Amino acid sequence: MDFSRVELDEDQQRFLEEVRAFTAEHVTEEVHEHERQTGSGFNLGVHLELGKRGWVMPEWPVEKGGAGLDPVRAKLLDLELHRARLPDVTMGTTRLTIGTVEKFGDPIMVAEVVKQVAEGTARICLGYSETESGSDIAGAKTRAVQDGDEWVINGQKIWTTGAQQCQYAFLITRTDFDLPKHKGLTMFLLPLEVPGVEIQPIHTYGGERTNVVYFSDVRISDRYRLGGVNDGWSVLRGPLDDEHSIGGPEAERSFQDISIGSMFVHQLERALDAAYAWAKTPAPDGSRPIDDPLVQYRLGAVALRLEASISTPGPLGRVKGSESLVLGGAELVDLVGPLALISEGHPDAHAGGEIDYSHRFAQGTATYGGTVEVFRNIIAQHVLGLPRANYPGHKVLSQKRRESSAAVASPVPQPA
Amino acid sequence: MDRFELRYQDYSLSEDQQTVRDAFRDFFTSESPSSRVRAAEPTGFDERLWRQLSEMGAASMSLPEAVGGDDATLLDLLLVAEELGRALAPVPCIEQAVSARALHAIGAPSDLLAAAADGSSVCALAPEPVGRGARQLVPGGAVAQNVLALDGDALVLVHSDEPPAHVPNQGRTPLAWWDLAGGQRRELARGAHAVEVYERAQAEWKLLMASALVGLTEQALHIAVEFAKTRETMGVVIGSLQGVAFPLADIAIGIAGARNLTRRAAWYLENEPGVRPDLVPAAYAYAAQVATHGATTAQHTQGGLGFTTEADASLYFLRAKGWSVLFGDPVKDIAAAGRLLADELPSQTAPVLAAATG
Repeated sequence: MDFSRVELDEDQQRFLEEVRAFTAEHVTEEVHEHERQTGSGFNLGVHLELGKRGWVMPEWPVEKGGAGLDPVRAKLLDLELHRARLPDVTMGTTRLTIGTVEKFGDPIMVAEVVKQVAEGTARICLGYSETESGSDIAGAKTRAVQDGDEWVINGQKIWTTGAQQCQYAFLITRTDFDLPKHKGLTMFLLPLEVPGVEIQPIHTYGGERTNVVYFSDVRISDRYRLGGVNDGWSVLRGPLDDEHSIGGPEAERSFQDISIGSMFVHQLERALDAAYAWAKTPAPDGSRPIDDPLVQYRLGAVALRLEASISTPGPLGRVKGSESLVLGGAELVDLVGPLALISEGHPDAHAGGEIDYSHRFAQGTATYGGTVEVFRNIIAQHVLGLPRANYPGHKVLSQKRRESSAAVASPVPQPA
Repeated sequence: MDRFELRYQDYSLSEDQQTVRDAFRDFFTSESPSSRVRAAEPTGFDERLWRQLSEMGAASMSLPEAVGGDDATLLDLLLVAEELGRALAPVPCIEQAVSARALHAIGAPSDLLAAAADGSSVCALAPEPVGRGARQLVPGGAVAQNVLALDGDALVLVHSDEPPAHVPNQGRTPLAWWDLAGGQRRELARGAHAVEVYERAQAEWKLLMASALVGLTEQALHIAVEFAKTRETMGVVIGSLQGVAFPLADIAIGIAGARNLTRRAAWYLENEPGVRPDLVPAAYAYAAQVATHGATTAQHTQGGLGFTTEADASLYFLRAKGWSVLFGDPVKDIAAAGRLLADELPSQTAPVLAAATG
């Protein structure tokens, strides 16, 4: 057990100052304003600047386009980018998947993509969910059919956040509708700038932009296939487990967050800090909200949710982190009252509308990367050892889904 | 507080700590089965178990070797408390360990310290300063010869050769009324340091109780899960139903977080006291919530069987509240955390970029 400050040597201290100089220069108010306007979770200018320094993939060796950072430096970079509130959703999906691309992709294709990812010119979004299958990723029915040394792809993906600023989608497709559900899947790194790909925006009340992407007779080379035909599920497992915080670090001398839920907690921290700023502001008669025991209790209750979330590991922390933000955000709106509702940008908005934003943003976190219900299933089965329910569509594609896929089936003939 | 400061997030146990945990888990499993817990009702005291435990040094282990201890840390004690809670062991170990540490910290006479260290007499801790009321229901008070209390700025030891009468209670614990203003009182120290030692003892009691509640809740969950794995309804095992499984998953989430939060709070108290004082009441209040909610859900998993006296789940349910409220309403600790954080956080939210140059 150890929660002490990590002692920085001179080089690490210098590095920290370098990162702070970087964020001061590049993660500017204009960057935040751009993010408020677009909700894209990405800033091209900053991303390319990060790429110049090898900081898109900071732990990769320099010769591979990274910066060869040791874990302490990499974590310092991470913390300072969070402090500066760099919009980093697309960087996150890129980092999540590139390792699997390297492991399963054609070596020549991988060499090209790795170079572009490191310099920031290529980004990768997730192509998992479909309109009729969200967290049930293995229920995908976007169809890929082999035609010579090409594949023809038809179907649609949704929640493809960042697709409009990505060059590739990490795409799960169905290549066999008759095999058991998890066995008829094949993964691709699909280049998005090809004919037949149509990206349409979807906006959330959390201020985010995501997408639906349509694929109409999209032809790609077989070199973009990842892993074996019909072996897509084993390719997907690595990044899926990472996103599900399975096997997260709870190791000796670790300074990593113990769950992916900590990501959601950052926003609750900002909202709580904003609520404290409100609570410590004196009224004309000198009284302050924080002097009221009820206000102390309400703030303490949110702080308790926050601290409990930070300390909850793995998939359990993913549920706790999201639910703390959902519940805590709503409680802080109540506490601060109508002032908390004023929109960001208006001069009366409290602390830049941080609490208003938290309540709106929070709801999506209960769904990102698999809903909290999916995670409760994971906890029930893998942590508690409870038996899995026997659902008709668990091991095989449901009849309804097969039938609906026949209606959108590609005109390209099935391979012999 | 800088939320972006690089600190270790290391909740792991050292090999020595794992050995301590395993030894006490084995001990309590074999020596404090539910039959012994029931046999010790209603007082909640098993004298033979207490003697065995004292011989193992459970209460004295965190004292320096020079005064009969093993130089163990507060974190080591948390591990013992968690195992004690898992087995619902009917012994005043938390009270004794906390009092012994306070007696040592205040430089109490060696005879007092020796008696606390070897378990030959039991020393309890008054839940509140005497100013809040001289007559207090003292946890462990029905088996204690001494109670450590704070009167004004004086740390006093109140003595009674014969402990006062046991007060029957929901948690089947050795509660008793003590008159902390009268009787045989010995002033140990006076002034700021005396107040500090008392408040520290309160904080340590809460952290050890939080750990005991984590162990308690985990065993209650274990009982419920085992039941849910085999009990069938309408042809399916009930544990496969999300209506049963999800509430159990929520208990697991609570336990994991409460355990780690308690360890983090104890680490700060022991290593950087004053840096995160809000974590102690937060950890205690969270463990109390998790225990109440967890033990309730766990017994309900067994339906009608869960609230029968024969069900072991009922032992856990009764103690979840019966232990967690002994030092008063845990909701007050939530307010305390809220109040303490006000001093740790800045009055203004710092502009995003200005913070980065700090």
